[in-house]
Amino acid sequence: MILIGEEIQILSKVVSAALKDRDPAPLQDIAKKLTEAGADYIDLNVGPAKKDPDILPWLVEVVQGVSDLPLALDTLNPVAMEKGLAVCKKTPLINSASGRTDSKATMMPLAAKYNCDVVISVLTDAGIPSDAASSAEAIMETIDYANSIGIPNERIWVDPIMMPIGVDQPRVVAMIEFFEMLQDIAPGAKSTLGLSNMSSGAPHELRGILNRIMMVVLGRYGMYSAIVETFDSDLVALAKGQRPADVELIYRAIDEDINIADLSPHEAAIVKTVNVVTGKNLYSHSWLDI
Amino acid sequence: MQISDFFEKYKGTVQELTIGKEGKSVTIGGDSVLPLHSFEGTMTRLPVLALEVWDAPPPENWAEHLRSHFGDVVNSPVLWAKKCVETYGAEMICLYLASLAEDGEIDVAAVAARVKEVADAVPVPLIVYGVGDKDADAAALKEIARVCAGEGLMLGPLVKDNLIEIAQAAMEYGHSVIAQSPLDINLAKELNIKLTKFFPKDKIVMDPMTSALGYGMDYSFSVFERLKHVAVLFGDDMMKMPIISSPGRESWRAKEAKLNEQHGILWEAMTTMTLVLAGANVAIMASPDSMKLVKKMMGQFTVS
Repeated sequence: MILIGEEIQILSKVVSAALKDRDPAPLQDIAKKLTEAGADYIDLNVGPAKKDPDILPWLVEVVQGVSDLPLALDTLNPVAMEKGLAVCKKTPLINSASGRTDSKATMMPLAAKYNCDVVISVLTDAGIPSDAASSAEAIMETIDYANSIGIPNERIWVDPIMMPIGVDQPRVVAMIEFFEMLQDIAPGAKSTLGLSNMSSGAPHELRGILNRIMMVVLGRYGMYSAIVETFDSDLVALAKGQRPADVELIYRAIDEDINIADLSPHEAAIVKTVNVVTGKNLYSHSWLDI
Repeated sequence: MQISDFFEKYKGTVQELTIGKEGKSVTIGGDSVLPLHSFEGTMTRLPVLALEVWDAPPPENWAEHLRSHFGDVVNSPVLWAKKCVETYGAEMICLYLASLAEDGEIDVAAVAARVKEVADAVPVPLIVYGVGDKDADAAALKEIARVCAGEGLMLGPLVKDNLIEIAQAAMEYGHSVIAQSPLDINLAKELNIKLTKFFPKDKIVMDPMTSALGYGMDYSFSVFERLKHVAVLFGDDMMKMPIISSPGRESWRAKEAKLNEQHGILWEAMTTMTLVLAGANVAIMASPDSMKLVKKMMGQFTVS
């Protein structure tokens, strides 16, 4: 599983203040920690950057000063994106384009121009598709367009758009179905999603286990990468194959009904969580208590 | 070979719950099929219709139609409740604690004494509904639970911030409770899990919140429907509680209902029937005319 570290993002108070003051130290500190923690990419989320598109190239230089990792440039502003792409030393990832008319016109061509990879979400002018089948239909059209302007499937990272499980559990479950289909509808395409979105709104201390289990479940169905909280060392260990027993239990819990009474608390929590992220049980914030 | 050979077996049964005490009780729930699917399996009983009584006179802008039925008894919850049962044949009464919304200090003892008078006066079981102010409701419902010990009331609404204190009182004095969640199936389950940590599962009813026709009824429909799917099709133990709905009060708040009597009667009847089809096991109604229409429609379903 390729991990894209999400920690440098505008919603974080530390990051937002550092960007505002053009203070490299806190940002370089996070970038170093991300690199040590085992991230494969560093996401640089500067928000819309409307008034200040130069923030992204500045941030790219700052982070490149302390880390050799490739970068995922995360803004919906094509002007800021292009300025950022121009200063990247390693081939970056554009995060993200979509099937919306404006994105096809202004964001997607940057991937062709700079010969880099691009995250393309299932969003279209009609909004976010409601289920796996309509997501598949939406992404096929958008990928067709991307191919037509010179972006091959191999450089496309499809993002099916994750929702909080407490808001729309059926959509979370539909991710499984979507990843099962993806190689049929877009052979060779890569994939990613904002994993932490899924646990947004869940009790803070329980977000980690939801994220971790969902990552392994979707990985089984072919998800190539995820934008994740890399400071969760358990998550990185799972992603990098250091917890084979847990992974095996997760797979088994997907395939069969496991009797929780026979398990240790750690194992029982894994099975209960598999049961909510795969839709076997209705989600509630107290899913581990029953 | 019969048609029933092709039916899939459902996993769950909606819990049965008896409200009231010996000699005057009503049982709800018990279905092992989706709402009113009598053709598929055991539909133990039809949903129960309750008529609503206020414990304080309704406001000026109360629907004229309702005033035409109850204008002579609005100052006496006892007479109002008796009229609902004796004249209109209500199977249950829901006493709405409108007095808790009045200005000034609330005399909880007086509120509870009025509930007890009503409970003593009618031969049917009582649902007691607060006004949705978590503190006022908790204070009143706790006292009502105590004063009406042994009556087997159904008390609500319990929300996440007052459920423990009300449920403890309900448990001590032998009542059942209504857990209310804001049109959110995940929060409905969350409340049930929290409650069942100390409260008996078979004494809980869910109120997933009712919206009237034209005012979001479709949201209520979807949530009721999903609750029943989870309970009956998936057999989720935390979701098998019966559902209660209040289409009466919600419908008569609609301006369309107030403007024209015929509209109003149909507005309430159609809201109620729709939510019964979605899964309400108890519906609290306001107009006896609307209730009659719903009974007539429900009469077409056979109970085994």
